[in-house]
Formats: sequence, C-alpha cells, structure tokens
Amino acid sequence: MDSIDDLIQNLSSEAAAIKQAPRPLMLSLGWIAAASVFLTVSLWVSGVRSDVMQKFYEPWFDIELGCLLMIFLATTVSAAVLAFPDLYQKKILALSPLGFFLLFVVVLFYSWRADSPPAPFPVHSFECTCSITLFSFLPAVWTFYSMRKYASTHYRWAGSIALLSAFSMGAIWLRLHEVNDSVTHVIEWHYLPMLGIGLVGWWLGGRVLKW
Amino acid sequence: MEGCYSARTMENLGNLEALMKLSLSGDKNAYAELLRESSRFLRPFLAKRLASASEVDDVLQETLISIHKARHTYDGNRPYKPWAYAISTFRLQDYFRMHYADQLHHAVDLSEMENNLQDPVTKSDFTYESISGEVQKLPVKQADILRMLHQEGYTAKEVAEKIGMTESAVKVSAHRAYKVLRKKLER
Repeated sequence: MDSIDDLIQNLSSEAAAIKQAPRPLMLSLGWIAAASVFLTVSLWVSGVRSDVMQKFYEPWFDIELGCLLMIFLATTVSAAVLAFPDLYQKKILALSPLGFFLLFVVVLFYSWRADSPPAPFPVHSFECTCSITLFSFLPAVWTFYSMRKYASTHYRWAGSIALLSAFSMGAIWLRLHEVNDSVTHVIEWHYLPMLGIGLVGWWLGGRVLKW
Repeated sequence: MEGCYSARTMENLGNLEALMKLSLSGDKNAYAELLRESSRFLRPFLAKRLASASEVDDVLQETLISIHKARHTYDGNRPYKPWAYAISTFRLQDYFRMHYADQLHHAVDLSEMENNLQDPVTKSDFTYESISGEVQKLPVKQADILRMLHQEGYTAKEVAEKIGMTESAVKVSAHRAYKVLRKKLER
C-alpha cells in the first residue's frame, strides 16, 4: 500500500499542463488528407491509365473503386480509434472495416462473374503486389509513427488495420494507373495479398506499437 | 491537504472526469486525488483476477504508471472509468503473458534437469576453494548460490529462503553454474 502511495506522490509531482491528443476523427482526417495528397502526387508523377474516362462508365469498376475507397476510409478511422486505449469508447468504428471487406468480397465475386469472356491476363504478375507495397510504404511509416504517440491497447489489431489502410490506398493508385481489365489478375495480385499484409501488420503492431 | 482536497472533490467536482480535466491542466492535487480514486476502484477489479496481494500491487503500479503515460489520450469528454479499466485490463494481460511465459521457461528448465535433480547439489567433484576464481566470473546470482552452498554450507532449501527463490530454481541455477564451470575446467 505504501509503495502505491509513494508512486501516486511521484506521479502527481510530475503533473503539468499537457497537450491533449486530437480526437480520432480529427486524427483520421489528417491521415486521409495526407494520403489524398500523396495519391494525387503519385498519380501525377506515374500517370493515370489512358482509358480512365472510359472505365468510369463501367459500373463494376466504379463499384470496385468505391468499395476500395470505403475500405480506405473505414480502416483509417478504425486505426485512429484503435490508437486510443479505450477505442475512444466507439468499438463499432474500430470494427467497421470488417463490413466493408465483406462487401468488397461480394463485389469482387460479381465483378469476376461479369468478366465474361474473361479479359486477357497482363504479362506481369507479382510486380503489381510489389508496386502497391512500395507505394504503401511511406503512408504506412507515417501512420505507424503517428500511432506510436498514442497508447493502443490493441496494438496488433491496430498494426494490421494501419497497414491495410495504407495498402488499400496503394490498391486505388494502381487501379487508376495500370491499364488492365482482368478481374482475375486484380483479385490474385492486388487484393489477395491484403491477407498477407494484414498478417504483417499484426506482427509489426506487436513490435512497433507496444508500449 | 489530501483530506481537504477530497472534501472539495466531493462537493465541487463530483466526478473523475472533472478531476482528470483538472489534472490535464496541471493541477497536482487533482491528479493525486484522481490516481488515489483510480487505485480504489481498480484494486478490487485486479484482486478478483489475481491470486496474491503482491501481484495485485504489482499490476496496480503498472496500471497507474500506464495511466500517467497515456493521460494525453483522455480528453474529459467521455467516461473516465472505461478508459482506466481498458488500461488496467491491458496491463493485466501483459502480466499474465509474462507470468505464463516465465512458468513455461521454468517448466523447460525443470524437464532439462529432470534426471539431475535427484542428485544432491551440494556434492560435486571439486572444492569451492579450488575454483573460486572461476566462480567469481559467473553471473552474480549464480556465484552467490554456489558460495552459499559450498562455502557457507547452506542447503538448497535454505539458500532459496535466503534469496527469495524457489528451491528448484536454486537447483536449476546451481546446475547451470556447474555446467559452465565444468566446460571451463575441462579446457
């Protein structure tokens, strides 16, 4: 008991006015704004696919991009909530990406069925996964760096969601950059690697976000 | 001062959220009161989940330090208790993880030593004096254990009581030290 009293004395002697962390919504808005700037600059540097206007008239392409965008937004908000010890008492926001991922799977299934006869495979394969990973690197580093300033009590989950957020932004970039109509290729080399990325984030969260 | 502040707290502040807001603005007394209140409601929470009072004290200390470290993530606009419980649960899980990892490590040690544990650890092929130079090069705890066993003549049980370890941990430590010494002496 005495040691607890001593500790309280010590800790309270260190009390000083401190800057409070921004709310999760503000935090995620900051990340979203930065990622949007990064995406715009990247598309400007790498170039937008030549048939982009034509693709926007294809409903499955629009739905796929819309879903990806929702995944990006949901994972970003979720990562911001997960940075707080009590999930800012908004657990539903932390879990929200699950719903969008499920919706995305359904969309991809119908998109794959609509791809008949199947569009030809591009000549490359794993290069797409590498490109998305490279694109995602800076946003991921920045998100992890910001999250370390908080106090996540679900650090593995937070790591996984943070990395998925960066990777989904990378997937949007590649979909707008690469001229490719093969849904099978996109599923195989753009979206399935997300499972691996989630696991890497889980591991990385344990290493980087533990406090 | 403490009593005075508690009374003021009851009359004017009324809740932990207000205390935390004051603490975040640098009020040392409010912060001390908040931590005292936190330890009051967290202690029974931890006591339900831990076996001994010393364990409860350990985890409670960790929790209070974590509350201190993470206080910038609380803004006073949401209930304080769920925030504090979340941190306490986190530290409790950490404690269990370390505790069970330690037990597992210990179990591995014991299985390694299964055959040797029957041997008396106070008997060995060499005298303490003849190898005291090598013993001094061992980690402090191992050297202390060997000194007590071989120079001062304590039993493993007595050594365990003296240095606050379990008897089997003392035996494991002694055997580890023997292994190192044997390798060195065989060279």
